[in-house]
Amino acid sequence: MIRIFLTQRGCWFVLGLGILGALLQVRADGRVQKQSVETVDFNKQIRPILSDACFACHGPDENTRKAKLRLDKREGAFARLRDGSLALIPGNAKASELVQRVFAHDPTEMMPPPKSGKKLTEEQKDLLKKWVEQGAAWSAHWAYVAPKKPALPAISQPAWPKNAIDYFILARLDREALKPSSEADKTTLIRRVTFDLTGLPPTVSEIDAFLADAAPEAYEKAVERLLASPRFGEHMARHWLDAARYGDTHGMHLDNYREMWPYRDWVINAFNKNLPFDRFVTEQIAGDILPGATLEQQIATGFLRCHVTTNEGGSIDEEVYVRNVVDRVDTNGMVFFGLSVGCARCHDHRYDPISSKDYYGMFAFFNNLDGPAMDGNVPQHPPVIKVPTPEQASAYAKVEKEIGELQAQIAQAVAKVKYDPSADDKAPPPPKFAELIWIEDSLPAGAKAVVDNGVNLAWNFVGKPEPVHSGDKAIKLTAQALQQVVLQEANPPLTVGAGDKLFAFVYLDPANPPKQIMLQWHTSNWLHRAYWGEDLIPWGRANSTERRRIGDLPATGQWVKLEVPAAQVGIKPGMAINGWACTQHGGTAFWDKNGIVTKTPQGNGPFDTLTAWLQYQKSVNGAALPKPFQELVKQDPKKHNDDQKKQLLKYFLETAYSGTRDLVAPLKRKLDPLQKEKESLDKQIPTTLIFKERKDERPAFLLKRGEYDQRGDKVERGIPSFLPPLPDKAPRNRLGFAQWLVQPDHPLTARVAVNRFWQQCFGTGLVKTSEDFGSQGEPPSHPELLDWLAVSFMEDGWNVKNLMKRIVTSATYRQSAKITKDRLAKDPDNRLLSRGPRFRLDAEMLRDQALFVSGLLVEKVGGPSVKPPQPPGLWEAVAFTGSNTGVFKADSGKEKVHRRSMYIFWKRTASPPQMNALDAPSRESCIVRRERTNTPLQALLLMNEQQFVEAARALAERALKNGGKSNDDRLRFLFRLATARLPEAEEQTELQALLQDQLRRFQADAKAAQQLINVGETRPDDALNPSELAAWTLVANLVLNLDEVVSR
Amino acid sequence: MHLHEQKTLLTRRHFFARGALGLGLPALASLWPSTAQAQEGRAVGGLPGMPHFTPKAKRAIYLFMNGGPSQMDLWDYKPHMNEWFDRDLPESIRRGQRLTTMTSGQARFPLAPSKFRFARHGQSGTWVSELLPWTARLVDDLCVVKTVYTEAINHDPAVTYICTGSQIPGRASLGSWLSYGLGTMNENLPAFVVMTPTWTRNNDQALYQRLWGSGFLPARHQGVALRSSGDPVLYLNNPPGVDADARRRMLDSLGRLNQRTFEQMGDPETQARIAQYEMAFRMQTSVPDLMDFSREPRNVLDLYGPEVNRPGTFSASCLLARRLAERGVRFIQIFHRGWDQHGNVAGDLPIQCRDVDHGCYGLITDLKRLGLLEDTLVIWGGEFGRTIYCQGALTRENYGRDHHPRCFSIWMAGAGIKPGLVYGETDDFSYNIVENPVHINDMNATILHCLGIDHRRLTYRVQGLDMRLTGVEDHGPVRAILA
Repeated sequence: MIRIFLTQRGCWFVLGLGILGALLQVRADGRVQKQSVETVDFNKQIRPILSDACFACHGPDENTRKAKLRLDKREGAFARLRDGSLALIPGNAKASELVQRVFAHDPTEMMPPPKSGKKLTEEQKDLLKKWVEQGAAWSAHWAYVAPKKPALPAISQPAWPKNAIDYFILARLDREALKPSSEADKTTLIRRVTFDLTGLPPTVSEIDAFLADAAPEAYEKAVERLLASPRFGEHMARHWLDAARYGDTHGMHLDNYREMWPYRDWVINAFNKNLPFDRFVTEQIAGDILPGATLEQQIATGFLRCHVTTNEGGSIDEEVYVRNVVDRVDTNGMVFFGLSVGCARCHDHRYDPISSKDYYGMFAFFNNLDGPAMDGNVPQHPPVIKVPTPEQASAYAKVEKEIGELQAQIAQAVAKVKYDPSADDKAPPPPKFAELIWIEDSLPAGAKAVVDNGVNLAWNFVGKPEPVHSGDKAIKLTAQALQQVVLQEANPPLTVGAGDKLFAFVYLDPANPPKQIMLQWHTSNWLHRAYWGEDLIPWGRANSTERRRIGDLPATGQWVKLEVPAAQVGIKPGMAINGWACTQHGGTAFWDKNGIVTKTPQGNGPFDTLTAWLQYQKSVNGAALPKPFQELVKQDPKKHNDDQKKQLLKYFLETAYSGTRDLVAPLKRKLDPLQKEKESLDKQIPTTLIFKERKDERPAFLLKRGEYDQRGDKVERGIPSFLPPLPDKAPRNRLGFAQWLVQPDHPLTARVAVNRFWQQCFGTGLVKTSEDFGSQGEPPSHPELLDWLAVSFMEDGWNVKNLMKRIVTSATYRQSAKITKDRLAKDPDNRLLSRGPRFRLDAEMLRDQALFVSGLLVEKVGGPSVKPPQPPGLWEAVAFTGSNTGVFKADSGKEKVHRRSMYIFWKRTASPPQMNALDAPSRESCIVRRERTNTPLQALLLMNEQQFVEAARALAERALKNGGKSNDDRLRFLFRLATARLPEAEEQTELQALLQDQLRRFQADAKAAQQLINVGETRPDDALNPSELAAWTLVANLVLNLDEVVSR
Repeated sequence: MHLHEQKTLLTRRHFFARGALGLGLPALASLWPSTAQAQEGRAVGGLPGMPHFTPKAKRAIYLFMNGGPSQMDLWDYKPHMNEWFDRDLPESIRRGQRLTTMTSGQARFPLAPSKFRFARHGQSGTWVSELLPWTARLVDDLCVVKTVYTEAINHDPAVTYICTGSQIPGRASLGSWLSYGLGTMNENLPAFVVMTPTWTRNNDQALYQRLWGSGFLPARHQGVALRSSGDPVLYLNNPPGVDADARRRMLDSLGRLNQRTFEQMGDPETQARIAQYEMAFRMQTSVPDLMDFSREPRNVLDLYGPEVNRPGTFSASCLLARRLAERGVRFIQIFHRGWDQHGNVAGDLPIQCRDVDHGCYGLITDLKRLGLLEDTLVIWGGEFGRTIYCQGALTRENYGRDHHPRCFSIWMAGAGIKPGLVYGETDDFSYNIVENPVHINDMNATILHCLGIDHRRLTYRVQGLDMRLTGVEDHGPVRAILA
């Protein structure tokens, strides 16, 4: 018997009301068992009512508890109240205050009180009454008690089960007087299981092989094959990445690129190599502190770093830091406990026994990241780790080895040189600041003028009597809007020291003055600009070293010295300037005597004495020196101790001494390119965000109302008291936390995990609210089955592939999905599993299927994310102007745009539109259950999106080329690629008619045909008739939109 | 699936089962609830028992000024500040309250009086800055609230907060709540439409799709972006070479084949899918019709100012908003960017105002002309205000302002709102609220109230909690501004 309760929120849930009286059942062992009459089940029927309607005021939160009545615990529920009454008297509903109150009509008496907005239905009230009358049996919340492996229940059809799962399912169906559905036909089955284990449909040859295999274990064999496919890991990872909130951008404000994909690949590999789930959990939570942590284990901790981050100007560091930790705690709570622990951030949880103190106890575990809160808008938000490919690692090692050898040779050569320290006594005194004129009457040595007669004009040196400031000539520049003179590649460059100033003289024509003048310098880039006057030249970031306003335009009709401290335009000591530009917005100006005020010796040596070298290094802050020397050269040489002196001398002799240059130079010439190669190799090596523990322990505090600046008592690392304690020997850190999560008596971890895997295969979990196993969550439809699966999962060594195999080889899973009237009435949402699961494919599966059946899919596991085309303007519509993901540029080449959807670049503030429309989450926060909606926007996407259209064309080409000679054969071929089965006669007729109509249309309009077949990255085969191909493309477009094809 | 949805489906199933194959799908499509029916007020897809009470507003238009418009340069007139030029913000006003790190390190907090002239307008005598000459003509229709406040001080959290009720991503946006609760009045258009117009300065703060996302609500309730170039709705247009006839023909076959599947499998989702494809086809007609201004008379276009003819401008978006409102779209939100004046208020704020001023005027006037303002609520405002003290260099002519969450000005107009009212008072520095504070959750509760919704009762269960737009704190509609 089933009752449907409509709650005030309009949600409905099914309560199996006890057990039907006197139903005779055959147990697994064949003995007959008599069952009792309708007993109210506390956990299934009563606790949800109490939780929803009462716990807010009579639950775990001490601060909001009314009348000192606590209904979430047995002691509280049966305790005598202050006025002497009892809320619950077992067997005596009349005298039980709770029952009286829920039936009261007086608004001051009734419970829940009207202002709570909660209201009990008559059925709920009756149920409470009946429960008290039956003795008010109480048990702890099911999910907080460690699961025990139940015995297999008695069932009516001993021949039906294929494994243990089926006993539990059938026992429940028996109670509801329902029979399981027959097994789905083999074609449906192979398509269903291939999708559920790999995210892709089966190929025709895989279907044929399966159909041809009449052996009883044919299905198991197919499952084994699918579990061994690398596609399995991709598909499983895709689900996990929703929960891990993986994305390719930081997710807030600028939402810049984040390099994180090695973590994504780690997840794929973990599933493919069947990493036991307890290790899967442990490595992601504490991989970095495992003894002898491997690179892989450190990458795994990216799980704790996938949360969104910000670098918004004005953010308060501590606020952001706390927000990041909170996300880690909440995600862990949802993914591993299946609980909304986040409530306890601000107050004791209203429904589940998690206090604020418990919350911050967990907070303290994840509070110790050795890295900044703000992401710096950089891809590598520390701490990060380098993840070289094997090729990169060996290339890097090779270069390092060669560098080592050369350095040894240099050391040997230098060792033979004698240096006379007395030379230092004769060294000249340190130089003083002086003008060094660089551009005077001609370009400096080696410099090349950049001239394109667009923005960049020729250097026009004019002589007297035009205004000339010094020398014989000045540079005359008349600009139409933005124009300039530019030189680059000067050699030797200008070496800049600390405190240096750059200067130029300018004379503005009073008759035609520019609106803005600018000087620009090139070091390794052109991002050093100073300007005077208006802000019309848009280059570089405003108000930064890339575009610094120095002042108003100078007076016209006279020579004025422009002077800019090098530091103000971001040119640091030790940098070399090899390019210079004088830039104007409109007007005429004369430029002359460009140079630098410096005391730095130019030309970078060689030096005859150690003293001269040290003076040079001091003026450039030792910028090019290894770290330890940088500090040394800034000090007074007299303060160096003997060891430091020795090291400095050695370094000087190896690199800068005139007496060794000839010996060392040939070796250095070999060394320099190697060092460059090492650098460039280093830059190519991907990185990924990881968790790394600080050396000291950052204290954690109870934060009042969750506010970062409202600290209460200090809190030690700890876990909520309603769960089993941390193992004695477990360290009090994330590793201990992880060990605790996967200890066998933990009531939640295994249950929550198996429920999610079940959800993947059946569309709905045994606990429908897979994100909430707490008292507000929906109780499991099959509690014994959930426990059986959880315990055997653990007994099995947390073997994920075994679990998946167990699920998909069950008779339950193999049932036909056909819905009969009877089943629709008795089991409308298939929560009883009286039929096989049928639901729409996920976003990624839909796109992957289209690419796969059309033969376009490029399969390659892992690597950087890719950008298939999307309609223009989506990123631009939202992005911050300075964001490096502000402008979308699609990748080109099928090896990028035709990859599986899990590799699509995920910008979190504007997620991929073809995924977003089909219920994929934004990945800004942890999601363990996707909605599955059915909208017209999805229909538009599947019919019209460029890649779906391209896939239709490619599928049509496949049919035309490989489908046989007749149109009927080709239609059958095409239909089968997409549906796995052959069309029935009526379907064949329908498609044939459509084809003929479209053939006529496109034969009459060859241009339209050409347009349609040209959509997409790949070109159509020229050998095919365009009109024919276009007609077939529309047929294929239909087939890819069939309900049967978009569902599984 | 919710029971009410099940019921709707059952009705559909009923007539499909009896007549589908006989009638053919095009005929069926015409049986679908039409715009005319919807405008009689029969919403489709809302929650049972909604609205909670007879609403004043059937729909709302939210003009969102992203970045934080400067209240003391626009609405919150502070004449005394002239005497305070370049003097320090008194500690009695600041009270140690937190600042963003963009100015918390400043040695001084010198006061920057607004350089713009204010005048009284309309019968109500509402003070308005010279920067909003067109909006100023409307003041007797507006209710200006000067005392809205928030807790967030940075853009991303603040704008996420006001649009979704939480500073942390993941919640449902205002429009998606309305779609979820009230359903749609025109099944040929989305219930919640978003526009992101161009803006002259073209340089500023970001938006995030989550601002119109559905968060934990089913994704069909998320805002649909109406775009000014390319497909107005994503993927609306058939691929090149496929015209409406070809698509219709393909859909006829698709419908028949899917109907067969339904008969074999009995899955109600299949029927829902057939209906969605038909609706998609109707959108292919209804959306271009919506975007076509060619039949708008000259005098109507003129209401919105000259920019109305440039697709993608704020003015053009305002006219589209009116056309959407006419067609029964429940909630329309326009996000105008560029209001983050940390520096150069003198140069940039006038440009920002020019972008939106005329369009606002056109929208309200046009809605009034058509009688639509009587059942349409219009809201104008940003995510926080700006500081009276100067960020960066201060002169009489120019200054910058940092974020200020403790008070900011918005206006509302139309259905359910008292016109010609100025509500709330701030201190002389536009720094603290002196009377009638309105938390952003109060403001959102007020919006819901105008649409017939008790904000405490529009909930959705997530992780065992009955989530609502206005959070767990005690907030509610601002009765004093309700008509």
